[in-house]
Amino acid sequence: MAEGILFVAAVLIFLGILFGVLRLILGRTVVDRVAAVDMLTVVSISLIALYAHVAGRFIYLDVALVYGVLSFLAVVAVARYLEQGF
Amino acid sequence: MLELLVYLLCGSIIVSGILAVRLDSLMAAMVSGSLAGLFAAVCYVLLAAPDVAMTEASIGSGLSALIFLYTIRRTAGAQE
Repeated sequence: MAEGILFVAAVLIFLGILFGVLRLILGRTVVDRVAAVDMLTVVSISLIALYAHVAGRFIYLDVALVYGVLSFLAVVAVARYLEQGF
Repeated sequence: MLELLVYLLCGSIIVSGILAVRLDSLMAAMVSGSLAGLFAAVCYVLLAAPDVAMTEASIGSGLSALIFLYTIRRTAGAQE
């Protein structure tokens, strides 16, 4: 049961990275690319959390925490810049 | 199953590096370069180096993106 759930999560993460990178390549405007990078960040955080469970090392969750806080900061800074603010 | 994800991550690092060089808009190039750093941090985690991954995520993604934004704004070179 748990193995099946982990397999489905890995397949969903695979598809998320694939289509996110595709949007990054094909993106017409800058906003498309920034949204794609934000989505890829969330998918990467879920990948780190999945690997922390698979490998049984919960120190990896700290990496996911730092990752989430800092990428959120970068995306917010880019959004402020695109509004001509900063 | 995880090997396939690692291959996809390494291919994504290469693709975002090429995009960071080739894109015309400075903002999109900066975002693509930041994405290469983020995926490199995930690869470091999968290679069992969480401290290196934490440093890469904080400096390569957070700090360098902010410095690039500041520089683009100060030099007023953000042609879309």
